[in-house]
Amino acid sequence: MFRYIRKRLTNLIVVLFGVTVLSFLLSNISPVDPAEAYARRILKSPAPQKIEEIRLKMGLDLPLYQQYINWIGRCLRGDLGSSLLTKNPVNYDIAQKLPATMQLVAIALFWILISFIPIGIISAVRKNSLFDHLIKGVAILGISIPSFWLGFLFLFIFAVTFPVFKVIDYGNIKSLILPSLVLAIPTASSFVRLFRATVLSNLNKDYVVYAKARGISSNRIVWGHVLKNSLPPIVTLFFQHLGYMLAGSAVVESVFSLKGIGLHLLNAVTARDLPTINGCVLVIAIIFVLCSILADVINMVLNPRITDKEEGLYE
Amino acid sequence: MTELLKVSKLCIGLKPQTFPIVKNVSFALREGTSLAVVGESGSGKTITCKSIMQLLNPKTFQVSGSIRYRKTELLTMDEKGIRALCGSKIAMIVQNPMTAFDPTVKIGAQIVETLMAHQRISKRDAYASGILALQKMNLPRCEQLMDSYPYTLSGGMLQRIIIALSLIHEPDIIIADEATTSLDVKNQNMVLDELEKMKRNGIALLLVTHDFGVAAKLADNVIVMREGKIIERGTVYDIFESPREAYTKELLKASILKRGNCID
Repeated sequence: MFRYIRKRLTNLIVVLFGVTVLSFLLSNISPVDPAEAYARRILKSPAPQKIEEIRLKMGLDLPLYQQYINWIGRCLRGDLGSSLLTKNPVNYDIAQKLPATMQLVAIALFWILISFIPIGIISAVRKNSLFDHLIKGVAILGISIPSFWLGFLFLFIFAVTFPVFKVIDYGNIKSLILPSLVLAIPTASSFVRLFRATVLSNLNKDYVVYAKARGISSNRIVWGHVLKNSLPPIVTLFFQHLGYMLAGSAVVESVFSLKGIGLHLLNAVTARDLPTINGCVLVIAIIFVLCSILADVINMVLNPRITDKEEGLYE
Repeated sequence: MTELLKVSKLCIGLKPQTFPIVKNVSFALREGTSLAVVGESGSGKTITCKSIMQLLNPKTFQVSGSIRYRKTELLTMDEKGIRALCGSKIAMIVQNPMTAFDPTVKIGAQIVETLMAHQRISKRDAYASGILALQKMNLPRCEQLMDSYPYTLSGGMLQRIIIALSLIHEPDIIIADEATTSLDVKNQNMVLDELEKMKRNGIALLLVTHDFGVAAKLADNVIVMREGKIIERGTVYDIFESPREAYTKELLKASILKRGNCID
């Protein structure tokens, strides 16, 4: 197992190298000149010499690979540069914004976790019952509703019509309930559908029949054996979605006026704030890859066969 | 000899149109005897056996008729009642030992679970009697086996564990559904020997097989099934010495060609 984790951590470095190269390249081939964008931000109408001066100062005249090496070197020393927009160090900005989004995502993941497992299992066990049909309908609805619309709907119902929550509210858990629900619903809906299918296929396995023949109760078979066997694919997906949510929280954050990393990144993109974009992408990529490693480790605990396969003990 | 199991007029259909799979099947299993249900694949023999333990999905299968264990009707029994019987009074040996256990749970835990489903017993005691049951089957390094995952063991090993599990509650009836089919010859003989031992110890055997060799070795009575119907029945001598149906003769011939040494 530890050998496997070590292998994955080595992979992490390769993936991060790829991610940084890609994001660096993509932001550099975009048509906007960052030196000019920066100059226009600090001076009303900058003279061409002034722009050139800034370009030299920012090191933008160097060849691309040199720029990348400089940037990655500073990253390794923990310096992601300064934001062109806020003038703060990028680290500082991210450290300010990330916790809010983390909190939001954590609560959303909590909703997902407590909903999809019981609903998926009951739906599968009572296949074609009224409950199952109802859940199927609700899940399709949940997947297809755009989250900004769902966000406004929630605000309208729970903050305007029935003022249980405030429209704009900061700094407490209550203020995160609505946004986290909006963030959770599409993911939870697709998880319910996938999990129901996985449970159904496991219910037809030989081990279920033999467990019945041994006299094991249906409840124990379902909640003990079938659940454990149905989890691995969804665990992988769960941690993948954690990454998606961190990166894609911008819509929800803007609807609920939350100051999180998603909105921060979005603002950076519109302002062509390259250091912030590269910094955010790097941080999100690290979280993404760490999540996928975590998913694999949990799956190995759930199904030890995976470990043995990875380590070549079993073929 | 009392009748342990009496199946009468059993009909099984596939829902929703109740397409018949098993038609009007009746047989009885008496104490200490063994009955072989022989037939080709798809003849309905496995389905018949599964219906005894209510292992068929009621949403897919329509079962009618009567299956009695001693004086109790099994077909109409509730889930709790039938699970109490399964694994204790009526035990099963399955066709494919490699897929019979939950792959993510250690053998020991699955044995303990089986014991605890039927008796008030602490986990520790259950574990100890699990080891004992495996030792009775002459399995090597039983403590280590208890701590293994099913996929690390061979089919023959797993089938022996299944046999050990089937005997753990001293059942009246053992249903062996193609118990030798997926094994190699050495393990087949091992399973046949164990089944013979069970028979000597007075356990009634219901053998489902497509192999007349198995029937010849173990069965007192034989029924031959084809397309969901019983087409011939009799004692093992009747069937082997003077089969009436052409189909039975054909099956016999196929079997003798395959393993000529079995009929002795």
